[in-house]
Amino acid sequence: MNEHDELIARVAETLKEPVRIDPRLDARVMAEIEAGRTAVPPTRRVLDWLTQARTIRLSPLGGLAIAAGVIVLLWTGTQLRAPSPAAEPSLAAAATLTTTVQFVLIAPDAQSVSVVGDFNDWDVSATMLREDQAPGVWAVTVPLSPGRYRYSFLVDGTTWLTDPLAAQAVADEFGRPNSVVTIGES
Amino acid sequence: MTTRANITLIVLSTVFMATRSVGMAHAQEARLETRLADPARTQVNRMLDSARAADLPTEPLVDRALEGAAKGAPPELIVAAVGRLWDELRTARDALGTRASVGELTAGASALRAGASDTDLRELRARRGTQPLTVAAAVLADLVAAGVPSDTAIVAVLSLARAVDDAQYVAFRRNVERDIALGASPSAALGVRLDAARAELASADHAADRLGDRATRPDRKRKP
Repeated sequence: MNEHDELIARVAETLKEPVRIDPRLDARVMAEIEAGRTAVPPTRRVLDWLTQARTIRLSPLGGLAIAAGVIVLLWTGTQLRAPSPAAEPSLAAAATLTTTVQFVLIAPDAQSVSVVGDFNDWDVSATMLREDQAPGVWAVTVPLSPGRYRYSFLVDGTTWLTDPLAAQAVADEFGRPNSVVTIGES
Repeated sequence: MTTRANITLIVLSTVFMATRSVGMAHAQEARLETRLADPARTQVNRMLDSARAADLPTEPLVDRALEGAAKGAPPELIVAAVGRLWDELRTARDALGTRASVGELTAGASALRAGASDTDLRELRARRGTQPLTVAAAVLADLVAAGVPSDTAIVAVLSLARAVDDAQYVAFRRNVERDIALGASPSAALGVRLDAARAELASADHAADRLGDRATRPDRKRKP
């Protein structure tokens, strides 16, 4: 055994001795890790997540479905923008320009009276007049935006009557004449 | 979530969105669904589509169809009425311009029905300047409906177009209608009220001129 062999033997003996580790080492290491994690701000972590490259696997059917979805979305947007500028005024504009119009009909023998016209989709039961002011005096107020509206009174659900207090419509296309009310824009 | 589940979700979402889009595209015609039977409903829907393509308002057309349905009119009469209004709206739009409001177009259509021509509407547009045309065109139609000959009504409305506002137009129409109700002939009532309106306007102009003259004239008494 020469000099080198003795050195190696001493080193080996030293390495064989058990290492004494501080039992609080694990806790300190974990505390350091936690401290490092919380030091990164959330926005940075989100940015890292967004900018991190990923591999997306997609089947041909899935790709077609996504393409169809995009096309439908674009088409929907086109349809929503489709109404012409001359079409219905915006609700906001209508709200600021509305005029309250009172419709009155003297009908002492009537059981019910409604006003039916362009402003309520010609729904015979949408706008009923009330006999509040005096017996036989039927009235209702309706907010109208600027425009020209044709209308008639419907008495007892059967008899169409024009408004004796209003102008009459020029055309009588359905055999029952109408009255007209015009709300100016100025 | 598996890839298959993802694809199923995408396909279902696409079908839902397509259904929703179709529903929204025909929302406006939904009012006809229960009020007008086929084939009249289909014919009216086609006219609505062509109105959208021609940049015409569809609401007056829907209203006309609903009016016919409410009054129990025969379907062919409803379709014919909507078609006639379509033509009038297009003529009014061509005469009044693409910036005309729905109210102006509807009133213009009424004026056309009353006997005015597209040239008359263009002249009315020119004379009214930037003022809205709704009331002026409506008064023309109302006068004809009250019995005034259309050519006379057109001349009267045009002659007032530069000088009166909407309220004065309405007052003029009411006066004519009142005179007719009291027994005057429509032409005579219109003539009398038109002369009165012109005299009133001339008097107002004269007074304004005098006021303006007085305001601008130097006060000689105060001069040294």
